Amino acid sequence: MSASAGLDLTSIPDRIQSEVQRAIQRSIKGVEYFSTPGPSLGSTPKDILATRGTMNLYHYRPVADEIYRIPILIVMATTNRGYILDMVPGQSFIEFLLKRGYDVYMLDWSAPKPEEKRLGMEDYVLDFIPDCVRRVQQDSGEQDLTVIGYCFGGVLSLLYGSIFPDGPMKNLICFTTPIDFREMKLFQNFSDRRYFDVDGLVDSVGNVPPELILQSFEMLRPASRAVSQVQLWENIWNDEFVKSYRMFDRWATDTLPLAGEYFRDITKNLMWDNKLFNGTMTVGGRAADLSKIKVPILHAVAEHDHIVPYDAAKHLITKVGSTDKEEVMLKGGHVSLVAGPNALRRLWPKLDSWLGGRSI
Amino acid sequence: MADKSNDPVAMWQNMMGEMEKGFNSFANQAMASPEFSKVMNQVGGVTATAQKQFGDLMEKYLVSMNLPSRAQMVGMAERLQSIEAQLNEIKALLHQVHHNSLAPEGGHGTPRPPRTKRPPSEGEQK
Repeated sequence: MSASAGLDLTSIPDRIQSEVQRAIQRSIKGVEYFSTPGPSLGSTPKDILATRGTMNLYHYRPVADEIYRIPILIVMATTNRGYILDMVPGQSFIEFLLKRGYDVYMLDWSAPKPEEKRLGMEDYVLDFIPDCVRRVQQDSGEQDLTVIGYCFGGVLSLLYGSIFPDGPMKNLICFTTPIDFREMKLFQNFSDRRYFDVDGLVDSVGNVPPELILQSFEMLRPASRAVSQVQLWENIWNDEFVKSYRMFDRWATDTLPLAGEYFRDITKNLMWDNKLFNGTMTVGGRAADLSKIKVPILHAVAEHDHIVPYDAAKHLITKVGSTDKEEVMLKGGHVSLVAGPNALRRLWPKLDSWLGGRSI
Repeated sequence: MADKSNDPVAMWQNMMGEMEKGFNSFANQAMASPEFSKVMNQVGGVTATAQKQFGDLMEKYLVSMNLPSRAQMVGMAERLQSIEAQLNEIKALLHQVHHNSLAPEGGHGTPRPPRTKRPPSEGEQK
């Protein structure tokens, strides 16, 4: 290397050759990209235990010779599909849990139909989750279960746990779960009660369209989509990069609509009045006080989460009434915390070491 | 090996990263203002109402043209989904029946691994 210039002149021909090869590869792979389907996602073998409108309950077939006594019920966020936790073999949280000997169920959501616009928070917390819990008990033959909630699935799990503190939930794990909605600054501003007519919107459109949900997520980082497409073009010669890009891009854009009344409840009770944080939240007339939750709880948060900033999530551990409680902050963002190569190294082993001893 | 600071590709990637951060940060500041919220919600409200009215109008037009409306197509999709759900239920039942037939005499339910697993002790291979 030439110390004065800081540039190795002898490497320039190699570098040019490498860039030319990549340019050729880009052209070939670029054609391939548009002519081939993406990787098959969510393919871990499972049985559908129940489908009822927007609610789907799956049971993943165990793969270990012996399994922990307490089954797991994963409650997915209502805005997105559950296959984020079951991407492809080797990058699947579900597969990881099965191999480590857990019995796994998932409450996943499909798009609510037009007539389901009347579903409110109480339908999710007092009907869908308890119904799935009953079915898990029946199917597994066990009374206890661990609940894992991702993002808003965590909020639903907390509401469920605070309304039914006497069980059967034995352990609770939340991933990136917001509690203090004042701290979701941009969402707060988007839904400013002075300008946002939530009643007008819900009354006119029924279910809130997925485009609106996706747009509000993308507005948090408006340049990122364009930059990610430039990065895709730069790395299109790299099969692993392209596979990962396609998986995450497909999931991120596969946003679900939200039932109208449910969206109205979230906006008024959580975004406007911050009732969960203030301890005044009720669901179907029943108080949802976080201090009633006494079960062991683990809350995993991401260091660079732009959707649920740490300030919005940090009070969860102090608000619950559990004595056995832990918050763990890991490197990564809102999605990379739970899925992808980093999650495989960071969150999943942590969860396994925390949950194993509490699942017997 | 070339110094990263003089590698044009690394410089380009670094510049893209910085541009992304800078633009996101600038846009987030702009979007945090009450004025932005006001304009966004005015435009959004008008768009949602216009879309709804246009949808209603289009539906009447399609009916007059003897073509299926969106609501009818959604209805058909729902029926298909319902048929799929029933097929899945039948599949799950068949799966269960198949496993039951393989289960030992007097056994009931799908055979599952025993729920006897204990967490590995410190240092034990998982």
